[in-house]
Amino acid sequence: MTIQATNVTSAAQPDAPKGSPMQLLAQWTKGIKTPEINRLDILIDAADMLACVKVLTDAHWGYLIAITALDTLGKPATYAQDVRWKALLDAGATQAASSPIEVLYFFANGPQIVTLRMLLAREAATISSLCGIIPSANWYERELIEMFGITVVNTPDPTHLFLPDNWPDNVYPLRKDFKIEQISSTKIEDIHE
Amino acid sequence: MTITLGEKWNEALEQVKLWARINSPWAIHFNSGSCNGCDIEILATVTPRYDLERFGVKLQGSPRHADILICTGPVTLQARDRLKRVYEQMPDPKFVVAVGSCAISGGAFQGCYGVVGHIDQVIPVDAYIPGCPPRPEAIIDGVVKLLGSLKKGPEEQRSGGEEVK
Amino acid sequence: MENEKREKFIVPIGPQHPALKEPGHFEFTVDGETVTGATVRLGYVHRGIEKATEDRNWTQNLYLLERICGICSHSHAMAYSLGVEKLAGVTVPPRAQAIRQVVAEMERIHSHLLWLGVAAHEAGFDTLFMFSWRDRETIMDILEGLTGNRVNYSVNVLGGVKVDIDAERADSIRKGLDLLEERTRHYLKVVTTDETFLRRTRGVGFTTTEQAEALGLVGPTARAANVARDVRVDVPYVAYAEFPVTMTLDTGGDLEARFVVRIKELFESYRVIRLILDKLPAGDLTMRMPRRIKEGETVSRIEAPRGELFYFIKSGGGEKPERIKVRTPSINNFALVTGTAVGHQLADMPMILAGMDPCFSCNDR
Repeated sequence: MTIQATNVTSAAQPDAPKGSPMQLLAQWTKGIKTPEINRLDILIDAADMLACVKVLTDAHWGYLIAITALDTLGKPATYAQDVRWKALLDAGATQAASSPIEVLYFFANGPQIVTLRMLLAREAATISSLCGIIPSANWYERELIEMFGITVVNTPDPTHLFLPDNWPDNVYPLRKDFKIEQISSTKIEDIHE
Repeated sequence: MTITLGEKWNEALEQVKLWARINSPWAIHFNSGSCNGCDIEILATVTPRYDLERFGVKLQGSPRHADILICTGPVTLQARDRLKRVYEQMPDPKFVVAVGSCAISGGAFQGCYGVVGHIDQVIPVDAYIPGCPPRPEAIIDGVVKLLGSLKKGPEEQRSGGEEVK
Repeated sequence: MENEKREKFIVPIGPQHPALKEPGHFEFTVDGETVTGATVRLGYVHRGIEKATEDRNWTQNLYLLERICGICSHSHAMAYSLGVEKLAGVTVPPRAQAIRQVVAEMERIHSHLLWLGVAAHEAGFDTLFMFSWRDRETIMDILEGLTGNRVNYSVNVLGGVKVDIDAERADSIRKGLDLLEERTRHYLKVVTTDETFLRRTRGVGFTTTEQAEALGLVGPTARAANVARDVRVDVPYVAYAEFPVTMTLDTGGDLEARFVVRIKELFESYRVIRLILDKLPAGDLTMRMPRRIKEGETVSRIEAPRGELFYFIKSGGGEKPERIKVRTPSINNFALVTGTAVGHQLADMPMILAGMDPCFSCNDR
């Protein structure tokens, strides 16, 4: 499969080999990208994430390397052709969907990396917890919560992992609209107290 | 019960204290956001090649037993109050050594959101050891210079340092 | 009375503690001396490096990312360089790749010897600590001679390396490795035969292969439980395809196995460095890199001394990256502490913690 990174092909992959992630996840796949050798990006809806991970782990396909997110603020053109974006728009989240947050789940099996990618509406970013299937996902989920302001439903421990105790509420450093001034009040006040 | 000593005795006692302090200062190491580079070099100074203990310096676990606070790294938001608390727990007279570029100026981490600043924005510092990280020789040199300055009068000792409010 | 017994007793450790050189906060719930639960609070070293990379250009980021961790600085710089070079479509000359591998293996040697000392110190075996740190100075001298710095070597530039190895330098490296190899044999004997030491390590912090996989362990900690995960073997990067290493596995799954795996990895490192020195490819050291990196996303995985290091790099086509995600091995391995602490003596906690070789500055970033 050699498809240009920018091209999103249709979901149907009837010729995919049996047991491969492409075949396992075919029913939820909204699009596929192969950005590099050994890499496969599978675009899915956030609601299908748990089902996809369940299938991968049941088939013993690799292990979870990382979960991270991308803030796409100011880059709506990237998603112009994306069916998932259109679905977000249809759901009525017009303002929010203008700059969605993309969540990425990386799985590795030897040299191969599969990335499950889903879009979340910016103002109501919510995703289910993976901890029921992969307990160690909690570390990454705590990061999603504090760094991107994503609500992770049913995660066992939603407390701060990295950010300090006196971090202001609703300030998410890895979002693109984060400004250092948002936290400067705490910083200066405390030094001179 | 209070013991009142004569002036001569007091002077002699002060001299004994100073002698003890210079010959066997105990140090505590605190990492307030360092990358580990300086920390492993500090640890290297107490191992056989460099052997800081020959100057009587001993790395020590509790701030309540320490004379010198060796600080590494820029000060992060989360570590700042802990750094202050460790400093306040140390008995007087106490001295602070800032090791490495980050401890002196914030180094490569200037402008990171988690970084408050450098050590002397939080607690007074008596000796600065530059380098990224400083070599163990430089750390030993810094500590020995600090010990040398202790021999001077109390006014010169604390030049540049001010009390934490 | 019955109710009082059921009350939890929590032993807080840290952030400033004599056991480790870095700040981290642990809370162990105990019943008498037995641990019944463990939680970890990180973030004391959190500087916000991932965000800071978005404000710095590609070259500046190399130096910033190198300072995520002072112990595995080369691993971070190498993972980042490999990713950016892949995005830019630049092929690095083979000589530069081989030198990167030499320094990466040297870093593994210095890191494992450092860890051996610290772990021995946790066990109260300070003699081994002093010995291993004395011998570690040999590899520090080699690194200093080769790169000019003992810790943050700054060997990588985008598109190649800064340092070269000539015949004279190669000879001095070989001499150093001979000495280290002899000493390492001695350490292997010590950690597998010393009766007192074995009492602190054998059967402590045990995980089965399945548990290790479920906890998501990586690196030597996973390989000590017979989980065959080594990026150097799975996806050879730099010159690992031409100068391969064999994976060191152990079926023990306990602390002793972690000692054995790390020490055996040292022999593998000595062997592969000698091999590269003998057959170092000729050619250039650097390739020209563009200031702006083509738009795209890439992942970069390498085997740092502590395990798999994962970089996700996204470029918007400008002078600065759009997002860099760093997933360090320690964050995965922390699951070992929270997962295996229960049922152990409180006194074993420092050893279990040291056994995974935690690096707080790596996972806090």
